[in-house]
Amino acid sequence: MRVPLGWLRDYVELPVDPNAVASMLAELGFPVAAIETRPVITGVIAGRIAELGKHPNADRLQVGRIEIGDGAPLTIATAATNVAAGQTIAVATIGARLPQLTIERRKMRGLESEGMMISADELALPADWFEDGIMQFDPALQPGTDVVEYFRLGEAVLDVEITSNRVDAMSMIGLARELAAYQSVPLRLPELVHPGAGSRGPTHKVTIESPDCRRFVSQIFSDVHPGASPAWMRIRLALAGQRPINRLVDISNYVMLETSQPLHFYDAAKIPHHHLIVRDARAGERFVALDGSVRELTPQALVIASETSAECLAGLMGARNSEVTPATRELILESANFNGARIRRTAQELGVRTEASSRHEKSLAPTLTEMGAARAAQLLAQSGATPHEAAAFGQPLAPPAPVEFETRDVKRILGFELPVQEIREQLDRLGFKVEPAGKSALRIVAPPWRTDVTSSADVLEEIARMTGYGRIAAEIPAVRAHEIPSSDYRRERKVATTLAALGYREIVTYSLHGAQVFEKLRRGGVNPPKRPVEVLNPLSEEQRYLRHSLEPAMLEYLARTDVPERTFEIGRIFYTEDRQPLEMSAVLFGFTAEPLDEPDWRDTHFLRAKGDCEAFLRALTARKSFESAADERPAYHPGKTGALLLDGHEIAVLGQVDPRLQRAFGVRLPVYLCCVHLDDIPAYEIPQFKPPSKYPSTYRDLALVCDVELPAQRLETALRASAGPWCTLVRTFDEYRGPQVPAGKKSLAIRVTLRKSDATITDAEADEVVAKAVSALRAEFGVTLRA
Amino acid sequence: MNLSTNLEQLRARFEAALKQSADARSLDSARIAFLGRSGEVTALRRTIGKLPAAERPAAGSRINEVVEQMETSFREAQARIDALDVGASLSQRIDVTFPSVAPLQGSIHPMKRVMHDVCAYFERHGFAVVVGPEMEPDYYNFDALNIPPDHPAREGFDSFFVTPNLLLRPHTSPMQIRTMQQHRPPVAVVVPGTCYRRDAVDARHLFQFNQCEGLLVDEGVHMGHLKGMLTGMCRELFGSEQQVRFRPSYFPFTEPSAEVDTTCPLCRGDGGECRMCGGSGWIELGGAGMVHPNVLRNVDYDPDVYSGWAFGFGVERMALVRYDVDDIRRFFENDAAFLEQLA
Ligand SMILES: [Zn+2]
Repeated sequence: MRVPLGWLRDYVELPVDPNAVASMLAELGFPVAAIETRPVITGVIAGRIAELGKHPNADRLQVGRIEIGDGAPLTIATAATNVAAGQTIAVATIGARLPQLTIERRKMRGLESEGMMISADELALPADWFEDGIMQFDPALQPGTDVVEYFRLGEAVLDVEITSNRVDAMSMIGLARELAAYQSVPLRLPELVHPGAGSRGPTHKVTIESPDCRRFVSQIFSDVHPGASPAWMRIRLALAGQRPINRLVDISNYVMLETSQPLHFYDAAKIPHHHLIVRDARAGERFVALDGSVRELTPQALVIASETSAECLAGLMGARNSEVTPATRELILESANFNGARIRRTAQELGVRTEASSRHEKSLAPTLTEMGAARAAQLLAQSGATPHEAAAFGQPLAPPAPVEFETRDVKRILGFELPVQEIREQLDRLGFKVEPAGKSALRIVAPPWRTDVTSSADVLEEIARMTGYGRIAAEIPAVRAHEIPSSDYRRERKVATTLAALGYREIVTYSLHGAQVFEKLRRGGVNPPKRPVEVLNPLSEEQRYLRHSLEPAMLEYLARTDVPERTFEIGRIFYTEDRQPLEMSAVLFGFTAEPLDEPDWRDTHFLRAKGDCEAFLRALTARKSFESAADERPAYHPGKTGALLLDGHEIAVLGQVDPRLQRAFGVRLPVYLCCVHLDDIPAYEIPQFKPPSKYPSTYRDLALVCDVELPAQRLETALRASAGPWCTLVRTFDEYRGPQVPAGKKSLAIRVTLRKSDATITDAEADEVVAKAVSALRAEFGVTLRA
Repeated sequence: MNLSTNLEQLRARFEAALKQSADARSLDSARIAFLGRSGEVTALRRTIGKLPAAERPAAGSRINEVVEQMETSFREAQARIDALDVGASLSQRIDVTFPSVAPLQGSIHPMKRVMHDVCAYFERHGFAVVVGPEMEPDYYNFDALNIPPDHPAREGFDSFFVTPNLLLRPHTSPMQIRTMQQHRPPVAVVVPGTCYRRDAVDARHLFQFNQCEGLLVDEGVHMGHLKGMLTGMCRELFGSEQQVRFRPSYFPFTEPSAEVDTTCPLCRGDGGECRMCGGSGWIELGGAGMVHPNVLRNVDYDPDVYSGWAFGFGVERMALVRYDVDDIRRFFENDAAFLEQLA
């Protein structure tokens, strides 16, 4: 909220320095986002145009004799056309400093001009919010009055942030009240007399049919004239960011900014029998707003209606039919209180937000209706309107419920001691009523405008604010032992450190993406998910879908570089099951690599990826070996994809990305990826030590010729099974295909390592074991020893 | 030919072979040819069997004698070659300024590193680290946190909805509720994780970000403990001189509530023309406060017995400050230069 300091000073004594005010507000919980300092303007005074005539040498200029109080009248020429004799206007005297210029004695078409008549623009006010031409003041303003000082135009404007619980502070008086309490100085409220009391005149009636209108204060005013507001009000509104419109609209805005209470004026002539009804809108009821827009209402909306039509969307905006116009002579004032939630829902449903609704939807204190109405009545009366008797409808003002407050909670919750006397003084300054309730408790009644204070915790915050949060002393707590596990996080952490140690670089990408990802998948021959998890209210089409896998973002990342990369991401992926959106944690790692000059039955990159994947799984599970099996799945190469299994369960899938998909994503180099769902990884199993044999091992290297289709792993497993207990390791270390072996065959070089636990194994024993194992393989797979 | 002559010739040829050997490999092949399992000495030993039985022992010991001499010669030759190797090695001269061979080096994402550092600090002080789902029902996001439907504070959490009742969590606070529902006090947890809000994107705001939540609930927990832990955390993240300041604020799930600031690490609190803090000398970290009694009641904790605090800070925000990064989007763009510099 824009808060002109010059306005705020009406109600409370404040330091001169706006920074000092800003830091007080921050201490109170109202941070100041910006301090807008005003330009230095000097030498501008009010002048009365005593005479005005044509310039002797120029058709388009006029020359005025301007009375300026004590000094001799000034002769000033102007090109403005909105001037007339008798007006009180803004005059910059010789030597005056304006934002863009300094006024000097000068000749205008041969005539000496002793200053300049100036416009709102030269006073650094928004030019299009004020009269076109010279700034006009009220005739009552004494000529010679220093304009900047009188209107406090040099005072900074603070942009104050007000939290949603403090709608009472969304006003000059609300903030002044806080600043007065903070400084222990008096608050000066405008003197409120309810004009019109006892007067006899037109009567009116309000019928409240909805409990969502809690209170409705109203009053009729005759003899209203919607001309321009006085300069002081227009200037204050403008500095507060509110465009001045006319006397009536300005009064309602002024009162709202001053007291927080929004008002509405109805042209009384348009309200049959002066009867207003607060009711739910009828289904399909048409509403033509002030701005001419037409809306169809639902019963969700609360309206203030005449006997014939809806005249106001409660708390939001008025209808065109009964709006005040220059022809309005009699008006009905509304100062009402509504259920905030209802206003809020309606505002959302209709997509309307106004200054009034932003206050109503936070549930204003009902007591403000009186204050707002009284202040408006006063200002209307000042402007020449005749007030008639005010009336209040709805629920009576109930005093706030008292709060029982244990004084020891100050120490228990805030951590510091505070004497009861000090607590009472602080609350007293904020307008709370405090009395003792038993030995250590206080009975506290909040002031009626503080509907946000309903519990002991709320009172504590008031005490903390008044004491100053600086009083809270830093202390390290002794956290008691508990049994809450960190296992999921630790596993994620372990995944990250393991992959970083294996040379992979972590990336973090967006979980939301657009349809272009599906398009790329399709172009790469991959069907997008049938029912992706979709955001109902995306910010843009680029963020409509939740990722179903980590691959697309990684491919997009890899597409941005031409050099080989090693990278990983850990994150949530989202999918739909039985129309139920679900999510799980996944990790994806892999690399791009220049293709190797290898026969088409060998891919060392794949084997490297597999090695990394095994190392990764070993670190997480402490298991030593994993089975592998060929696998086929969309997005991956049909002949270079495998799964790693542990105890028969698939725990990782790895392979080369389908080259068609790689190209669809614009990645230059072949991509090898390994994808793991974190929940599939079995828990870390504490390894158990077995003392190794003291005796040396020996090995035999075998060249076995077998069918090309036979996976190396099957031969290894069979060898190991038939080699007996002395066999400690079987590992294939080379493969050959070509003229040296028959067609349809390949030769695998396998090392069998043997070791006895109780003696050194002899050559003869080793040869015998291996020979037996080979003959078993011959029987099972038709394997022969290569010559 | 008699055995002695044969042995002598054999030894002479072995010595010659050793002499000709200029490196360890040829030396070794000489050894295998003469002394190996199927070498010349073995062949000669086989001839002993053809001798009359009485001569065999003498022949055997004669062979052993020569073999011993040969082995001695071999060791001498080995020593000679080794000395040559050492000499050759010592004469090598390289350019030590030549660029290194790069190791295979991975890295942790800079945002995640800050997240891990925050978690590590709290773990050291007895907090558990818990993680939770990114899609959460209304109840955990709002209702249980003292934000009923139509509460004005819901506006601050402009959220992405997946179904009318399921949304991408706008903060990590749902895990406060889940944790307290599962455990009785003491509860001491931090919750790192991704959150989403419908924020317009600029250098400071993004629709996706990470948050670190902290929650401590037990008997006798007060706001000074919050300040103590956060001061410690800031010193760990930004430097040993860091101060922490609380300003009053409003969050429905805490009361009293505070905005938490820490000394600007760039100007060390001096302000002035500092571009990081805009001259205030302070950096805003996020919100905190004492857990609202209604939140405790919602998980069946008695607020007259237990008290607690919670905070929720943006991880990218802390990383921006820690690494002096100009734009929050960099944390999701994965620019190679960015990741490399902060690796
Ligand atoms: Zn700074």
